[in-house]
Amino acid sequence: MAIDTQTLKSLELFSELDSEELERTAKLIHPMRVMEGEVLALRREPAQMFYMIMKGNFMVSFKEGKAFTLHQRGDIMGWSTIVTPFRYTGTIVALTDGEVLAINGDEFKVLIQGDASIGEKIMNRINPIIAERVPYFSREAREARKELLEA
Amino acid sequence: MTGMEAISAHNGWAISAIGVTIVFTGLTVLSLTISQLHKVLAFMERKKSDSQKRAEGAKEIDVSDIIIPGDMKETAREYKMIIDRMDAPFSLPRLLELSEKCGLNRPYSNLNDLIGSGLIEPDGEGYYRWKGPDNP
Amino acid sequence: MENMFMDFISNTGFAMADYRHIIMIIIGITFIYLGIAKHYEPLLLIPIGFGILMGNIPVFKGLGLGIYEDNSVLHYLYFGVTSGVYPPLIFLGIGAMTDFSTMLARPLLMLLGAAAQMGIFLTFLGALALGFAPNEAAAIGIIGGADGPTAIFLTAKLAPMLIGPIAVAAYSYMALVPVIQPPIMRLLTSRQERLIRMEEPREVSKLEKIIFPIIGFLLCCFLAPAALPLLGMLFFGNLLKECVVAERLAQAARTSIIDSVTILLGLTVGASTQADVFLTPQSVGIFVLGAASFCVATASGLLFAKIMNMFLKVKINPLLGAAGVSAVPDSARVVQMVGQEEDPTNFLLMHAMAPNISGVIGSAIGAGVLWSFMS
Repeated sequence: MAIDTQTLKSLELFSELDSEELERTAKLIHPMRVMEGEVLALRREPAQMFYMIMKGNFMVSFKEGKAFTLHQRGDIMGWSTIVTPFRYTGTIVALTDGEVLAINGDEFKVLIQGDASIGEKIMNRINPIIAERVPYFSREAREARKELLEA
Repeated sequence: MTGMEAISAHNGWAISAIGVTIVFTGLTVLSLTISQLHKVLAFMERKKSDSQKRAEGAKEIDVSDIIIPGDMKETAREYKMIIDRMDAPFSLPRLLELSEKCGLNRPYSNLNDLIGSGLIEPDGEGYYRWKGPDNP
Repeated sequence: MENMFMDFISNTGFAMADYRHIIMIIIGITFIYLGIAKHYEPLLLIPIGFGILMGNIPVFKGLGLGIYEDNSVLHYLYFGVTSGVYPPLIFLGIGAMTDFSTMLARPLLMLLGAAAQMGIFLTFLGALALGFAPNEAAAIGIIGGADGPTAIFLTAKLAPMLIGPIAVAAYSYMALVPVIQPPIMRLLTSRQERLIRMEEPREVSKLEKIIFPIIGFLLCCFLAPAALPLLGMLFFGNLLKECVVAERLAQAARTSIIDSVTILLGLTVGASTQADVFLTPQSVGIFVLGAASFCVATASGLLFAKIMNMFLKVKINPLLGAAGVSAVPDSARVVQMVGQEEDPTNFLLMHAMAPNISGVIGSAIGAGVLWSFMS
């Protein structure tokens, strides 16, 4: 089921996109129901899906037992899909039943890399969120990048 | 040359017998290997997570003696009992793991309720603290 | 002027055609019809059918038009077939689009894929008995593997002059799987057996799926090194798919590469069936043996499943044995269809994919074995 552009526009991540850009983005998005306890992503696994919360509560946990919880509509999870080394830095689990919008990471990357305007508008929104979350996983991210460089 | 004579003259029987044997051997060995693969991976994963826990210095917390009485309905009390056994500030995923181990009902949504009601609060460093009364 | 006109007339295909060209053109049109109207393997039958039309336009020898003429365009395209380049590329695509999870979840079902390869070796014996040379008999036998690329690959190596009839026989029978297999399946199984439900397969981890193509490749190719070009590409394609980080390459392998090669392969194989080389008593023998080979392969898989059931606590549905012939995914679909005739709520497709895929591996090993014996 496709998502309408009005709904997308109401999300902070896509609020700057114009109608044509919203339509292109909407084609990639799949609404998904999630159940309490459902794991959406596993730490260190290849990051395949990017999520936006529509409804529900989620926990993102990191190495050494650190974690934060997300409860707001529009909160994003799984940004590792578009940032090297493309591996989830945290495990995402649903604390309650809910609904998310899911985007395939590869398609999202193509969208962002293939259209400078969309890329800039979306990355402008994502970058501060990444910066905010860095303290939770910074050591691990450094290690992962080091592993990647060594490989 | 035709018939059985042709088959024998060209080693047909031997080639077929060996061919069938090789195909069966190949797929049997592959099948046996695959059937053990997930066990080996699970074993390695267990070892890895054990050593990771040790490396991270996570104390093995014994919760086997915590018996949640049937009449104790308040979620808060149940969770407080577990949190008391943990270091402060405590790890949220660890609390979830222990509450599952204790067999608490719907640990995910209950934990969410506790956070929502402010009984559990983040410390800003990725860990959490109990903010409710000592005897909820 | 009248002479020039008569010369032109005598040089047209109309004047040069004989009954054999007409027969082949009818066969080509039948293939196209079956592909479009009946949906029998349209991706293969349409290019092959059109290739048959292209190959059977009568042309002057020496103008560089025919597929068997050294300097013709078709000949250059056909090089991919005769040199064995196309089949491994198709295997690359198959690997990149195939999910091995069901096989990984129930490795026991792989034995059904091995059993169905009996068809290859029994047909090999039959071809020898009919007087075919050993290398030709081996190429004919591989039709029983029900795997077009493998059949073409082995024939290109062992009996290149038979590529046309063998490829057409292999792909025709693959397309006719929904017609050939069901009667044999019903004949060799009881209603009770067809009603057996399969257990839910366990969940397969991502890591298992990534490790499998590497282990599978090493094991199979150490055992039968001659299967390297086919199995190497099959497992490589699957590794690209499962490792996720090379998704772009996997995407190329399962779309543009396999599609391009299928077009070239189908068209040139079709064009290679020129009336003078195709309409021979030998071709008739190949078609008869090919049909027998398919039936034997199907029966072997079914009977082996029944034998396995004698020793298994949790019985398997013997229909799955028919999916051991590697015609992916048609024979698995046929298993589903026949199973659902008895019980519409019984879903066997997922389970049938396990012997189906192991059949691909088995037939490639079988081809490797025959190649190494014959070369």
